[in-house]
Order: sequence, then C-alpha cells, then structure tokens
Amino acid sequence: MATRREQFLARLIPMATGFATLILLLALWQGAAMAGYVNTFIAPAPWDIAQSFPDLFADEDVLGALAQSFAETFGAAAIAGAIGIPIGWWLHSRRLAGLAFENWVANLAAAPLVLLYPLFLVVFGRNAATIVAMAVVTALPPIVLKTKEGLDGVRRTLINVGRSLRLSHRQIFLRIMLPAAAPVIGNGLRLGLILSLISVVGIEFLIHFGGMGDLIATLGDRFEVAKMFAAICFVLLTSVAFFFIGEQVDKWLARS
Amino acid sequence: MAGTLVNRQHVRRRRLSPITAMRGAAVIVILALWQAISASGLLYNGVIPSLLAILRALVQVVFGSELYRNMAVTGFEVLGALLIGGIAGIAAGLALGASRFLSRAYEPYVHYLAPTPKIVFLPVLMAALGVGPASKLALGAISAFFPMALSIAAGVRQVDPVLLRVARSFRLSRFQIVRMIYLPALVRPISVGLRLAFGLAMVGCLLSEIALSNRGLGYLAAQDYAHFQIAHMYAVLIVVFVLAAAGNAAIVWALRRPGEA
Amino acid sequence: MSAELRDSAPTTNSQTSGSSAPLLAIDRVCKWFHTPEGVVRAVDHVSFQVHQGEFVSIIGPSGCGKSTLFNILGGLSGKSEGSVTIGGQESTGPHPEVGMVFQEESTFPWRNVIENVAFPLEAAGVPKAERLARAAELVDLVGLHGFERRHPAELSGGMRQRVCIARTLASRPKILLMDEPFGALDEQTRLLLGDKVLQIQQALQQTTLLITHSITEAVQLSDRILVMTYRPGRVKRIIEVNLPRPRSSEILASATFGQYVAEIWADLREEATRGMKDSER
Repeated sequence: MATRREQFLARLIPMATGFATLILLLALWQGAAMAGYVNTFIAPAPWDIAQSFPDLFADEDVLGALAQSFAETFGAAAIAGAIGIPIGWWLHSRRLAGLAFENWVANLAAAPLVLLYPLFLVVFGRNAATIVAMAVVTALPPIVLKTKEGLDGVRRTLINVGRSLRLSHRQIFLRIMLPAAAPVIGNGLRLGLILSLISVVGIEFLIHFGGMGDLIATLGDRFEVAKMFAAICFVLLTSVAFFFIGEQVDKWLARS
Repeated sequence: MAGTLVNRQHVRRRRLSPITAMRGAAVIVILALWQAISASGLLYNGVIPSLLAILRALVQVVFGSELYRNMAVTGFEVLGALLIGGIAGIAAGLALGASRFLSRAYEPYVHYLAPTPKIVFLPVLMAALGVGPASKLALGAISAFFPMALSIAAGVRQVDPVLLRVARSFRLSRFQIVRMIYLPALVRPISVGLRLAFGLAMVGCLLSEIALSNRGLGYLAAQDYAHFQIAHMYAVLIVVFVLAAAGNAAIVWALRRPGEA
Repeated sequence: MSAELRDSAPTTNSQTSGSSAPLLAIDRVCKWFHTPEGVVRAVDHVSFQVHQGEFVSIIGPSGCGKSTLFNILGGLSGKSEGSVTIGGQESTGPHPEVGMVFQEESTFPWRNVIENVAFPLEAAGVPKAERLARAAELVDLVGLHGFERRHPAELSGGMRQRVCIARTLASRPKILLMDEPFGALDEQTRLLLGDKVLQIQQALQQTTLLITHSITEAVQLSDRILVMTYRPGRVKRIIEVNLPRPRSSEILASATFGQYVAEIWADLREEATRGMKDSER
C-alpha cells in the first residue's frame, strides 16, 4: 500500500516532468531563434513574446477585447440554454418527437454549422448580433442533446418514490427530475459554452469585428508577430481557465 | 393490426412509421416556412432566396465543373489533415492511455488545449506554410489531433482490467493481448474520435479557406458571398453539409461491428 | 404434486389492538401481462389480510410475482382483477396511508441525509423547523445519528437503505411496504439491519409487509409468513411464527427458528426448482 508521501510523489513527479518538458521546448525554441535557425517572423523567440505581454495591455486594450469576447460567449451560451433546455425537455417528454428528431440534432452537432455565418452576416450586418447568433446556433445541439439525455436518464425508482408519495406531475418534475438531471444538463451547458467560445473567436477572426479574434487577426496583418503570439497565448490561457472552471462546477454539481 | 396486410405479400404497401411521418412533416413545415419568409420580403431580398432559386443554383453547381475542382482541394486538405492528425492522435493516445506516468505528465496539456479555438493559429501557419492548401491542412491536422488523442487514451484506459487478468491467466503474449483485447476495444473510440476529428478538420479547413485562399469549397462560398450570389452560396453550403454527413456515415459504416446498425 | 392453496383469513393474530377489521385486505387479486408469447399470469388469485401492528413477510422464488404484488399494493401498477382494500376502503393508485421502500437504491443524491428524510414532509408543505425536527427523530431511530449532513454518496449501501426507510416513515404511513430492501447487502449487514427493523417496528408498532427471498430474514422479523408459488404466483402456505417478542437476531440460535426455516424451505424448494427448470428452457 502506497503511503501518502508516495502517492503525492507519484502525482508530482509526472506533473513536474511535463512542465519541465514544456520549459525545455521553450528553451530550445529560444536557442534556435537566437542562433538564427528559426525565422522570427514566423516564430518569434519566447522571450520576445513574453516581453510583448505588457504591450497588449498598454497599446492594444487586450482586456477590452477579452471582455467583448467573454460577453458574446456568455450571452450566446445563455441564449442557447434558454432555447435549448426547453427543446431538450420537449424531446424527452414527447416520445415520438424524441425518436424522430434526436438523430437530427446529433447530426447537427457534428455538422460544420459555423459555415453558416455569412448568412447571419447578411441578415444582421457586421456586428455583435451576427457573432452571438452564430454562437447560439453552434451551442444549441449539445445543450438540447444533454438535456434530453439527463431527463431520460433519471432512474425509474426515483420517480417511483415521487409517485408513491402521490406527488403531482409538476412536483415530480421540479423536485425529482430536474435535480437528478442537473449534472448532465450542466455538462451540456458547459459544452455549449466551449463551442460558443470557439465560434465567437473564430468569427471575430474572420470578420474582423472586435474581441480577441479580431485582435489576433489585426496583429497578424500588421506583422507584429511577437504581440500576436502573446495574444494567442492569452486566448489559450483564457479558454483553459474557462474549461477548468467549468470542470469544477461539473464536479460540484455531480457531488450533490 | 397488420394481420391482413401480412397475407397480401404481393401488395407492396408498407405502413408509414410514425417516426418517418413526423420527420416528413417537420421537413415540409421547415420548407414551407422558408418559402413563406422568402416570398414575404421580410428580410433583405437576397438573403432568403426562394426554394426554386436555390434548387436552380444547386443544379448549376452540381453540374458545373467548378465545384469538383474545389472539392478536390478541400478534400485533399481534410483527408490529409485526418491522416496526419489522426495518426499522430492515435500514437499519442496509445502512449497516454498505456502509461500512467505519461498520462499524468502530458495529458492535462492535451485535455485543456482541446477546446481552444484552433483558428487562432492560422496566421502562424500561413506565415510558415504559405497561403496554399498546406496551411489549411496543417490547421485541420491540429484540429483533428486532439479529439483523436483523447478518445484513444480514454479507450485504452477503459479496457476492463478483469479482461487483462483473464488474458494473463491464459498466458497470452503481449502481441496477442494487443490484438485480441485492446484492438477490438479500440474500434469504438477510434470511430468516435475519427468522427469528431473529421468534423473539426472540416471546419478548420473550410474556415481557413474562407479567411484567405484562392481554392477550395470555403473559398467558393466566400466568393459567392463577396459577389452576393446568395443562392449559389446556399448551394455550395448544401453540398458541404451533405459531404460532412456522408463522411460521418462512411466512418460509422467502415467501423461498424456486427450487431450495430 | 399440487400446491396447497390456503385462503386468507388467519386463525390467530399475534398482535392486535383489539379491532378485528384488517388494515390491509387483498381479495383474489390477479395480474396478467400480454407478451408476444401469449398471456403470462404473474399473480393468480392472491388473497390475504394484514392487521394493525402485524409484521407479515411474503417469500417466494424468483419469478413468483412478489415484486408485481408489491407494485400493486403500493398502487404503482394496476391489477387485472380483484380488490385491494386499505382501512376499509378500496384503493386504486398510491394510497396516503401506504409507504413504499424500494429494492433499488432510491436516495436522492443531491440532498443530504436529513433533507432526504424530510422530503415527504417538504412536499406536503410542512414548515421547515417542524419537518427538520421530525426528520431528525427518524434519522436517530434508524441509527444514523451524526450523519445528518452527509450525502448518500458518502454512505454505505446499508446506510442508504436506512435513509430510505426513514424517509418513508416520515410520511407516517399506516402500512409500510418493503420490497427486498436489503437484497443488495451482505448477510451480516442484513442480520444487523434486521435487528434495526425489529427495533423500529417495536417502537412504532408499525404495520409492515416485507417482500423477501431470505428465509432467515422472514423468520427473524415476521409474525406471519406467506409462502408463494412459482408463477403464476399464489399463496401456497401461511405460516404463523410464534417466536417471542421482543426479538433480536440471537433468535437464530434457537431450535424453533431452525424448524421454521426447514418448514419454509421444504415448501420453497419445490417452487424454486420449478423456477430454475423454467429458466433453463
């Protein structure tokens, strides 16, 4: 039986190795850049990238861009939730509809929906509404599917507890089914949030309309590569943070 | 019930399943709504063209040659992306799944980078590989790598430890264990991972083509948009969606097992 | 060899408050199902009565319709024929005086122990302070004092079933129906929980109907035992258990206990064998 210390080390050493590998790669990259092996227009030295971070804040209003991307992402996810959860509930409660349309929604989830963005562009014009609308469409399928899955998956016995206590349909739904399905529905919302972020940044990038995507594209156009890499790192870190927080929320929901 | 129908084998009448009926009704409603909005002039004229206009454009597109030239380019990009990203993903997934150490060291990076928007790498790739299909393929490969690696890693870990103990008790060789226990267990994760990878590679390649390109289906759609040939653009998008569905179905079919649909 | 069929009315009641009207009476209840293979009779003309304060067990081989009977008595599924009378009135559907404890795990994972137990009271609109107080009493009664704020995921299977029992008792049912509540637990835990059930029954004078496949459990806990035949389920025999109360699991040591067990097994073995042959076909 491993002692606590052994268990701790068993986790720490691999993590440290992974991190060390990352540092090593960065160091190699830095060395190659300084020695001239790497074209710094394509891949600037890590040190230069690090040094451009403050410029992001000073010159480029990266926080403003971040705020815009965030607002669009969360807004889209909220709207997708407001639309998607009732649809998912409808597919769950009407058995025929569920059987008929679940496949369609699953196929939509896999389809390249983002490609529809030119249409939203024509309808809404070049503004935030287009971005949000597109993100809503991409976020809907997983939310719908997970809502149906969560409600379908409530164990029959739990519902029977409600029936044996003579609770009304509404009471059973509110007091038993919703809490039981909450972890799965939350999972769907988290997926929707992630897809929303991907769509938002992608479209901002393509239509050059504010937010982190636009920032990266603009810096690229201007050939300010170090700053651009810094901005890319920023987006990556933000998305990682998003994902991580989402997982913690998931865990918290699942435990209760 | 259907008792009398069963006897009349020569009458080729099939009962319409309620599911098909419902789906058919939904399609009709959607098309009718579309046509209504189009005819009403509610939205700016060209945005929702009539069904007829779209149909005509579709015929034009399918029977023209322009589509196939560009489909070939996109197809090359996507397949290349799947090949490179897929193989890299399988290799990484196997390593991560088999070794607890490697998993703890490196999988968090894969796990947390997976949901990031890969399009942000496009400027770098274009600077490195030019504006041709290569940069699009590279973006597609990066997009395809992550779902594949994670799916395979999970698949390897999910092999029931009991099965491994049974295998060892029969003193199977390492190779036999891989062939008879791991490989069959991995068909499902490969299928799931490949479908996700395919979808993401497609999106990656097409969006990159829209961003900057002179060839490919994404480029076609972007051109149509730029020249406000909206019906034509719809036609191209329809083709794209059909291809996506077909690709998905092909993967499911190729990796199906007896007993599954 | 045809099974002995006994009609319901027992000749003696081990514990009665003096009234002779049964609390629960089921009369010639039948249940059949239509399957592709034809009509399957799960329960065939079952009749018996349960009086106030009694502990009755129903025991039978797998496939004898015990769980079907449980669902019918609890009102969760309909009957094809016959009547179920509770407190003198015919009952269809879940009855307020009947509480059900299910075989499967049924705690609400998102609520802690005390919230689980208070659930029926909360649904009925009982104010918070009162329902928490009542729930706390029941949590004590089932022996989970100190675990009020824990979540079911942190508890063992036996503890979770105790939570379910406490929750069902919260609605103060006149009749407690339990369907193999300890089926998933190991023998020793079952015996200890059996003791707990005896204590509860003693304290509350709770009328209880227990479905079980464990002979020792039935004899340990009951005043009367109904032995059912294999499908179609009928009452094969009714056995009065004249072991003294208050009881505990120590009763296992007595010779009389062994005799009851042997008697029941003699009946059950035949039915269980038929069941096994059937499933091999």
